[in-house]
Amino acid sequence: MNRLISKLSLNFGQLDNRHVRLILVILSLILFILGAGAPGTGSGVGG
Amino acid sequence: MILLLAVFSGLVVAICRAQLHGRDLRAPALHHIWLVLLASLPQWIAFGLPATARQIPQQFAALALVSSQLLLLTFIILNRDQAGAWLLGLGLALNLSAIIANGGLMPISPQTVARLLPEAAPGSWQIGQRLGLDKDIILPLGQMHLPWLADRFLLPSSFPWQAAFSPGDVLIALGALKFTWAMGGPAANPFFRRWIPV
Repeated sequence: MNRLISKLSLNFGQLDNRHVRLILVILSLILFILGAGAPGTGSGVGG
Repeated sequence: MILLLAVFSGLVVAICRAQLHGRDLRAPALHHIWLVLLASLPQWIAFGLPATARQIPQQFAALALVSSQLLLLTFIILNRDQAGAWLLGLGLALNLSAIIANGGLMPISPQTVARLLPEAAPGSWQIGQRLGLDKDIILPLGQMHLPWLADRFLLPSSFPWQAAFSPGDVLIALGALKFTWAMGGPAANPFFRRWIPV
């Protein structure tokens, strides 16, 4: 039982870590393209 | 918005690609992610948050944009081994060249602005000034340096929103697509990649 619990928590921990890394990479890509790109939309014109 | 569309459509395709091959999405090992976070701060203050973007003088906005993009260029050089990094870096370098050559903001011609904002009130934008809260400065073609790198293209009128974009933006969108496509692929292995076509 203890082995099962420790194995489950290990798997859950790895899954969590992978998801956190994935989210971090996607967020970094989004921040990068928002910073590197310069499309003009006219936001705030007349505002 | 158009660049975000490239990322989200790329992610959808990557998820489909990964599912087709029974894989999970892969998170590439990026180095020095803190550089992206640091680079984003001045741009959020100068362009992202309306409360601060309205207060900041044009010179400080230009300084914020150039310093931020230099940090992003450093980041992409440090991560040049990633898929799409060369396209992302080249697009950023083209944008940064146009920005630096025109005093720190991305040039856009009055003709493009008139097509982008056909219903804008007279006097709501002026030549030599920032376009709203954008990273653009409105310059006549005759006063513009590197005009072929400026925000000169418009989305088709059938799109639900309008935006003017540059050749650099196109390369950045292609780089984002290539980056996300690779996330749905197999883990990079130089030995196997040499022998097995993916």
